[in-house]
Amino acid sequence: MNNEFENNMNETQFEDMRQQLNTLKKKLGEQEIVNDHLMRRSMRNQVNKINHRYNIIMALCVLMIPYGYWCFVVLCHLSLAFWIGTSIFMLVCGAATFYTSRKISDPGLMSHNLIEARRKVASAKKFEANWLLFGIPAVILWFCWFVYEIYQIQGGDYNNGFFWGGCIGAIIGAICGIKMHFKTQREYQDIIDQIEDLTKE
Amino acid sequence: MTTLERQFAQTVAEHKSTIYTVCYMFSQDADEVNDLFQEVLVNLWKGFDSFEHRSDIRTWIYRVALNTCISLDRKKKRAAEVRLTMDINLFEDRDEDTKQVDMLHKRISKLQPFDRAIVLLWLENLPYEEIGQIVGITAKNVSVRLFRIREQLKNMSND
Repeated sequence: MNNEFENNMNETQFEDMRQQLNTLKKKLGEQEIVNDHLMRRSMRNQVNKINHRYNIIMALCVLMIPYGYWCFVVLCHLSLAFWIGTSIFMLVCGAATFYTSRKISDPGLMSHNLIEARRKVASAKKFEANWLLFGIPAVILWFCWFVYEIYQIQGGDYNNGFFWGGCIGAIIGAICGIKMHFKTQREYQDIIDQIEDLTKE
Repeated sequence: MTTLERQFAQTVAEHKSTIYTVCYMFSQDADEVNDLFQEVLVNLWKGFDSFEHRSDIRTWIYRVALNTCISLDRKKKRAAEVRLTMDINLFEDRDEDTKQVDMLHKRISKLQPFDRAIVLLWLENLPYEEIGQIVGITAKNVSVRLFRIREQLKNMSND
């Protein structure tokens, strides 16, 4: 029946139309549904948020060195060794944060190959999770050293502002740090899930 | 995302060109094509859960897309916020391929909506039986209508 119809048609005209339709399909096949762009944009925003947070952490780590000197050495009369130890710990934290942020700081991360982006995000997530294996013992160690330093200068008297201020600061810091860690981990997982959704197509 | 949502996203990704082609052929500007695309996706989603695979998925998608485009064309039209569309503007792009596509659009858009649907499916090389299933007429009727469309298109090219 198709042949009967085609025989009566201007064959060239319809071949042209078919060709034009194929051209249209080819053009459309190369396009993405805009929702893909929105998802990429949303993932890029999430990555930017994490990066912004990392920048703040790095800045705080650096600022902590002069502030630590003023607070620990000048104000509390703790040892210079404690300040140096704290500064080294801050520098290690800053370096680790910088190392993680470099994995995801490429502005085109979500615009190009999503498989590669997923690999980088997963790697950053894993590094950050593993960082706790060092970070938590290091913080506990630092806190013990802090207690010891207070003990040294107060001769066993813990009933003073420095000690309790330090304890409350450490607890608030630990809660904020853990909350931020889990928030970042969740955001990384969201990005990974979204990439998996997109790449399944 | 649930399993159903994933399946739907995959189906839409596989058939996005088909869906967009139908919307484009029933539109007069970029806004309208985006409205239609959105509306077709909504209607596909509404029926996706109950689609029982008695017919081919492509046939079902054509049926929903054409029904949506034809009925929306008759209602002319309601405002819809575009959330999903394709990153292309066939009404404004000026490259050679788009000019060719535009020629096709101009020819087809002169036809009545129902005839537009039939000739579009025929250009896609669908058999008369399948065209009939999609638009809800017999294969014989498809043949008759195509004969009439042929005359119209001939007259257009003579103009």
